[in-house]
Amino acid sequence: MSRHLTILSNILIVLQVFLLFMCFVDTTTFPEWLITSGKLHPLFLHLPIALVIFNLPLYYFLKLNSNNLKLEQLYKSSLVYTALLTTLTAIAGLLLSGGGDYDPETIFLHKWFGVGTAVLTHVQIYLFSWVEKRKRVGYAIAISAVLILVTGSHYGGTLTHGDGYLSIEPKEVAGKFPDLNTTTTVFDAAVAPVIATKCLSCHNNNKMKGGLNMSDFQLLQKGGKNGAIFTAGNPDSSIMIERMLLDMDDKKHMPPKGKFQLTENEILLFTKWIETGANATKTYHSLDKSDSLKLMIDEIRKSQTIAKTEKTYAFQAASQSKIDELNTPFRRILPLAYQSPALSVKFYLKEKFSIAMLEECKSISTQVVEINLSNMPVDDKVFALLSKFEHLEKLNLNGSSITGKNLNELVKNKNLQQLSLATTAVDVKVLDGLAKSVVRTVYLWNTKITEQDLANLKKKMPSITWDLGYIPDKNELLKLTPPKPINTDRIILRKEEKIILKHPLPGVQIKYSLDGSKPDSLTGKTYQSPIPTSQITRVIALASNNGWISSDVSDYTFFQEGQKVDSVQLLNLPSEKYRKNGRRSLIDLKKGFPEILNLNWLGYKENTFKTGFYFSNNIEKSKIVVSAADNTDFDIFPPSKIIVKGGDSPNNLKTIGSLVPEMPKGYRSNGVLPYIVPIQRGIYKYIEIEAFNIQSLPSWHFGKGLKGWVFVDEVFFY
Amino acid sequence: MDTQEKRFRLNVTRRHFLTKAGLGIGSAALGSMLFKDQLLGSTETSAIPLGVAQFAPKAKRIIYLFQNGAPSQLETFDYKPLLTKMHGEELPESIRKGQRLTGMTSNQESFPLVGSAFNFSQYGQSGAWVSELFPNMASIVDEMCIIKSMHTEAINHDPALTFFQTGAQQGNRPSMGAWMSYGLGSENSNLPSYTVLLSRGRGNGQGVYSKLWTNGFLDSVHQGVVFSSGEDPVLYLKNPEGHDKSSRRDMLDQLAQFNAQSFENFGDPEINTRIQQYEMSYRMQSAVPELTDLSKESDNTIKLYGPECLVPGTYAANCLLARKLSESGVRFVQLYHQGWDTHGNLASDMRMQAEDVDRASAGLIKDLKQRGLLDETLVIWGGEFGRTNYCQGKIDSENFGRDHHPKCFSLWMAGGGVKPGTVYGETDEFGYNITKDPVSVNDFHATVLHLMGINHEQLTYKHLGRRYRLTDVAGQIVNGIIA
Repeated sequence: MSRHLTILSNILIVLQVFLLFMCFVDTTTFPEWLITSGKLHPLFLHLPIALVIFNLPLYYFLKLNSNNLKLEQLYKSSLVYTALLTTLTAIAGLLLSGGGDYDPETIFLHKWFGVGTAVLTHVQIYLFSWVEKRKRVGYAIAISAVLILVTGSHYGGTLTHGDGYLSIEPKEVAGKFPDLNTTTTVFDAAVAPVIATKCLSCHNNNKMKGGLNMSDFQLLQKGGKNGAIFTAGNPDSSIMIERMLLDMDDKKHMPPKGKFQLTENEILLFTKWIETGANATKTYHSLDKSDSLKLMIDEIRKSQTIAKTEKTYAFQAASQSKIDELNTPFRRILPLAYQSPALSVKFYLKEKFSIAMLEECKSISTQVVEINLSNMPVDDKVFALLSKFEHLEKLNLNGSSITGKNLNELVKNKNLQQLSLATTAVDVKVLDGLAKSVVRTVYLWNTKITEQDLANLKKKMPSITWDLGYIPDKNELLKLTPPKPINTDRIILRKEEKIILKHPLPGVQIKYSLDGSKPDSLTGKTYQSPIPTSQITRVIALASNNGWISSDVSDYTFFQEGQKVDSVQLLNLPSEKYRKNGRRSLIDLKKGFPEILNLNWLGYKENTFKTGFYFSNNIEKSKIVVSAADNTDFDIFPPSKIIVKGGDSPNNLKTIGSLVPEMPKGYRSNGVLPYIVPIQRGIYKYIEIEAFNIQSLPSWHFGKGLKGWVFVDEVFFY
Repeated sequence: MDTQEKRFRLNVTRRHFLTKAGLGIGSAALGSMLFKDQLLGSTETSAIPLGVAQFAPKAKRIIYLFQNGAPSQLETFDYKPLLTKMHGEELPESIRKGQRLTGMTSNQESFPLVGSAFNFSQYGQSGAWVSELFPNMASIVDEMCIIKSMHTEAINHDPALTFFQTGAQQGNRPSMGAWMSYGLGSENSNLPSYTVLLSRGRGNGQGVYSKLWTNGFLDSVHQGVVFSSGEDPVLYLKNPEGHDKSSRRDMLDQLAQFNAQSFENFGDPEINTRIQQYEMSYRMQSAVPELTDLSKESDNTIKLYGPECLVPGTYAANCLLARKLSESGVRFVQLYHQGWDTHGNLASDMRMQAEDVDRASAGLIKDLKQRGLLDETLVIWGGEFGRTNYCQGKIDSENFGRDHHPKCFSLWMAGGGVKPGTVYGETDEFGYNITKDPVSVNDFHATVLHLMGINHEQLTYKHLGRRYRLTDVAGQIVNGIIA
């Protein structure tokens, strides 16, 4: 072999290895430039076709003149070039296959026949000397190369030109579901269309597999070479149903494996249709409303239409650059769906809006089918502008500043379906402007339109659906929400700070009491200005208003900041789980939340709450307040007893006050309760408080006999 | 030889290095050229165009009123008179069929059936049964499509919730709202396309966690943004004291310049995301107050949702806010209302919960309708599973409850392309098993995506070497509920 052929053969080996490797990896992950080079496949492929076929006569001539060295040389180089080009073509093909959306079965065959050709032509080179003496084998190889090539090319042709390009058969048409009228038969309504979609491609006038033609009812009745395919009234003995129900891998399963299969509903339809006599005259409308055949037909017809409900638009799409130009954060232009020419335009942010923003949209006026100007400050001048949008279907002007003066301009919008005017100043007069409009639905909630107006409108323009929306029932009274202090987190107040109550509904009266009694909605004290506080201020308040039911009471207890404590000593340790903020939490002026017991709280169960407080001031004290949690569901009870001792130092104490709180009689959850212990008035440097937790829960409680908890979040000294 | 020389000899020379490393580096280079994506993880994402509906959608936006804790279907929409008749009798094993139980009732010696704590009546033209708990929802049954045949795989709250929100029980996948944001993009670039609103009822509550609104492996812009329940739903939107809008603008412009510079230097796309997010929050400074200002609501609106709608953080306030957000183009507004976990005190807890949600849920539907928005907004109301037809705790006590039941439960949808005034699916007389048209959580997801104009099989994201979907490998569109 000449030197250049040797080089080519080596390249060929490398390429073949690469080719075989490519067969088994996902080529879509290859770099872009490599994939792009796959596009040369349609160019290359013609060369191996010619060469492989050309090699056959060449071989014949070579055998005729077996001693012609030049001819032999030519044949040898032809084989090398053939293999090289075939391999390149196959590689390009594999690269191309990754990018396209091809029928997987055809591509599979094309791929392996193509690769087979490449391999075989390669093998042919090395078999050359081996077949010298075996002429027939040589022919066999050359001919099979041609055959494999032709088969492979056929599938390639199928990929580009589509199945049936070579055959003269009519193209398969999906069955059409006719519109239903009183004369539509059951057969026409669903049976025939399903047959047309799923069976007709093999059982038609031209192609009658198994001698069966299903083109119309008479032919269907006739059956195939094995006779009738159904027995009216008896689906169980009908071959048709039997074949449909066979296992997918069964050779006799219909439709055959690889074709579009019948859905469960479609099989049921055939079964029901045969069961009810399989006749061609029964009409759809004669079926009872709850007839299972009718339901089945509805179901199938619906599943057909679901995919097709998409509205199509006849106009051209606007150019993307034009849309991009108009799109801003305050004016969004979006297609209704992917590749739909129809556009929706929606405006955002009042303060950014100007009417010019809508005017600019005139360049896409053909394509806009939805405009949403809700809550934008547009006035009645907008209607003249809106009338230019010829395909407008949906217009939303809710909450805009229009009064509807030029509403009649919308008569020009010949496609307008829906008009939303809720929360605008339109009145009944301007709506007359819609008399000649094609609009179907108009929304009028929260406008000047009354129920009386509505009745007139319905009479005057009966083709329009007028929606007045929700009208409160005058007899239905709703309960107000209770009033709240302006800042529910501020429960501990400075001396001069006042309590501010508020209610979100304008015009509501707040009644309150400070003596622990429930305020009365009529005679109670009316809240007018912030309430000055005393050391402990319990505010019970409710909201009332004409036309509403008075609210439940809200009950808040406020504390004034007490005397400053220098330091705190925990004489008994709280439970490990409930002492997160330690002794600081008792004097940090932060109240605990009854729901979050491991924050700002100290919890005691094994020990009593026994704590010492040191003071450096010389101010008289007369009262101590222990703020404790109260929730029997969690075994948190009031302290059974509080004892307060005072003196100059921990070594010199006397009892200066005590309190025995009342115990709950049943389950309750009061959140946080203050326990006020009056003490002998005096100056104390040190005060020790001991609050005892209940040692045995009462008999009504699910934990009876067990120890209860005491939780303390803050202690105040006055 | 001294150590320095030894050390020197141990040094690899340039030639040495290149000879040794040439082959390895060469093959690595070749490999990275050929299989770049397999090495680096794929940037290829979805089989379908993103940021736009694949086909004409029936709904543009979703408001999901999640009833966290699982409201009992037997006290709400699934009327089972047999239970009342057989009150106290044992649940037949032929019905239970060894169904897995939670730890809370698996030790129970008997499973006495317990009738509904509330009376039922039929409403509307559809004649759907609704319990006395929901007088307002009952008034809109002709807008609703009640599915009585939902079922799920999980028997405890967290996995069930996670399954409902992300399509998987384990909690590493993107949530529904994130998939919507990823597939459909944002309508209004001044607001996040996926927002979450939380509220808490007075019943027995179960937690909600941020994994329920996670973006999972999707870009973090698709994550749900939680609006806090206080007076300021979005924190840090106000300008600091002493700074006005224009100085904020100047600051942002300067910052954007710096960021653009560092993008030039490093080319990290996250920098650009950050620039965009600053711009968006600047615009949110105007957009959010417009939405959250409740002072201008009309009396009619307040009566529609109930007076609680003026109290931030309540379910009613969240419903009103949800309507406003949705109206302003937020694709997916997710509400959670806690407190439906009625293992005990069922009757009193459910009454309190119903008081919180009934008026506002119905109000939301009516409000969307009267603004002409219901046809493009899909509203979903339901919990994560159902509750048992037998009693948890003592049957004769006032505070009996019902345990978790995954095999059937009810939810309803309204608006955006669902068939109004329908009841879909049936359960047996015991309210224990589904007898007709079961709808799995995956089916539910497939249907919701379909209504939004997305083929659930084609909205994919490649992660860890395979393509993921919200429905993963399951899900059938429920045609029976599509209008």
